[in-house]
Amino acid sequence: MKKLVLFPILALALSVLIAARAFAAGTDQNEKRALFRQGARLWPVYCAQCHNARPGSEFSPQQWDAIMMHMRTLGNIPAQDSRALLEYLKGSR
Amino acid sequence: MDWRKVMVTSIVMAAISLGGLRAASAEDPAATAKELRAVRRELRRLEAERASDRKLIQQLEQKVDQMASQNAELRATNTQVKNEQTKTGQEISQIRSQIAAGSSKQQFSDSISSYFGTHTLSINGGAAVQYVYDAQPGAIDDLAHQSQNTFLFNWEPLFLYRPTDWILFEGELEAAFGPDGTGVDLPLADFHFYLNDYLTVVAGLFDQPFGDWYETQSPLWINRFITAPLPFGVAPVVPPGEMGVQLRGGLQWGALGQDFDYTAWMGDGPSYSEPVAGAAVNSPTPVLFAQTNGKSYGGRLRVYPLPIDANLGRLELGASTYNGKWLDGSWYNAWGLDYNYFIGNLQTRGEWMQAYRSIPGGPSDNRQGWYVQAGYFLSGLDLPFGPQVNNIIHKLEPLIRYSGVNQHFVAIDDVQGGLRNAFTGGLVPDFGVSGSPALFAPHSREVALGLDYWIAPSIVWQNEFDIELPEAGGTFVAADGTMTPVGGVPNDRAFLTQFAIGF
Repeated sequence: MKKLVLFPILALALSVLIAARAFAAGTDQNEKRALFRQGARLWPVYCAQCHNARPGSEFSPQQWDAIMMHMRTLGNIPAQDSRALLEYLKGSR
Repeated sequence: MDWRKVMVTSIVMAAISLGGLRAASAEDPAATAKELRAVRRELRRLEAERASDRKLIQQLEQKVDQMASQNAELRATNTQVKNEQTKTGQEISQIRSQIAAGSSKQQFSDSISSYFGTHTLSINGGAAVQYVYDAQPGAIDDLAHQSQNTFLFNWEPLFLYRPTDWILFEGELEAAFGPDGTGVDLPLADFHFYLNDYLTVVAGLFDQPFGDWYETQSPLWINRFITAPLPFGVAPVVPPGEMGVQLRGGLQWGALGQDFDYTAWMGDGPSYSEPVAGAAVNSPTPVLFAQTNGKSYGGRLRVYPLPIDANLGRLELGASTYNGKWLDGSWYNAWGLDYNYFIGNLQTRGEWMQAYRSIPGGPSDNRQGWYVQAGYFLSGLDLPFGPQVNNIIHKLEPLIRYSGVNQHFVAIDDVQGGLRNAFTGGLVPDFGVSGSPALFAPHSREVALGLDYWIAPSIVWQNEFDIELPEAGGTFVAADGTMTPVGGVPNDRAFLTQFAIGF
């Protein structure tokens, strides 16, 4: 009897977990798209205040990971803006 | 056999028979009875035939139904086969397309990333070849000098190593072939620790976070001019680099683009080529000097008041300080203000700074320096010379810069070269400066005109014409402390051209 009760609870919990994960994955994609859009707005401004803005196609995504860390330090770029710029540079290649 | 025809035929025959029967009965009753029996037999036979035909028809109808059913099944099977054939064709087509297109960029990137591992090494930096022409018409008093007609080369590789998403190592070498032959320097080597969104710790040898020049404007392909502004050239007002630790970060305080950032640092402090007024700044401070220094500290704040969506351009306002000890407790204090503004094709920036230094047993060594510059991209300018000419014009950026340094004293050994210029024994330029004697004047002034041709965002051919306009005054200081008033200072001109790339 206990097994009979336990099974639907487990199934329900599993379903909730799967649904939550699917929702989270969808949210991640939405966040990435939002970051990309914000990065596209920041890129011609933040980069150009020190030097000509360089397109994302100039470096690999892995290189951009390192370069953006360097730029975040030198420009003291807010972390969220730094993530947006990185998403844009890697996504616009 | 058509059963309807059979029925009609039977009825007609029966009618004929009845007609004959009536005729016969009128003539002979026996004959009539006989004919009636014959008619009845015929009727029974016809009924039997009809029953047989019905049975046959039923059987045929069953067969027709069976065949119709089989036909429907065949049609359904045929449709299913066709659908599967179409689906298979689509799948084959899709597979062919995928094979033809190869893997997606993201898939390829992920594959490469996983293949090379999670640690990333990126080699960036810049390189430049220069030509300097400086026909010096005279010297400062009797100091040695020489005209410049020289090719130079600079290579500044920047190594970025990212072992994880919160640690970065950066190291830069400055390799150059100049008047002294080849030389290599280490201006930058530090770790960055990204502790959270608002705090980054930098430890090691770093560019001085004082104004924008040292940290962001000095790289070969970023500097719009070939030479440095006077406060950062042969007689820098503040040390170019520091050994120590920084705390820094930035945050958004208003709308997007309205940011604030800070840098606080502590380091070994400044040191000088000689313990006399007017001596050049060492960078970084050697450990030998650091032993006698008290620690120095400083800070830098920047604010960006304009939101991006206002489309008013980007304005940066900054302030910097540097306080500490340089020799046996002698004090050194500096502070500065700077700005940077760009909108559309126009960019302008400027800095002003001031430093005070106490000299053991002598007068204090005070210096001020400043520069302001502006540039304008001609990318929006269309002249009636055809597309080829306009294409060239669109890549041009005319520039102008005015800079100056005020210092009461200049060390003679620094001007004459000292150990650094022992090979030539005369006045020679540091890498990337024109070498004009007027640069070493206590009150040097310079107007620089530039014309950059941008081949790509980080590839540029630069041209610069310098007009040195030093003001009179100041004092030369010998190594033994002897002071001599500076006499006549020549106005000088220099032309420089450079091809630089950033990578």
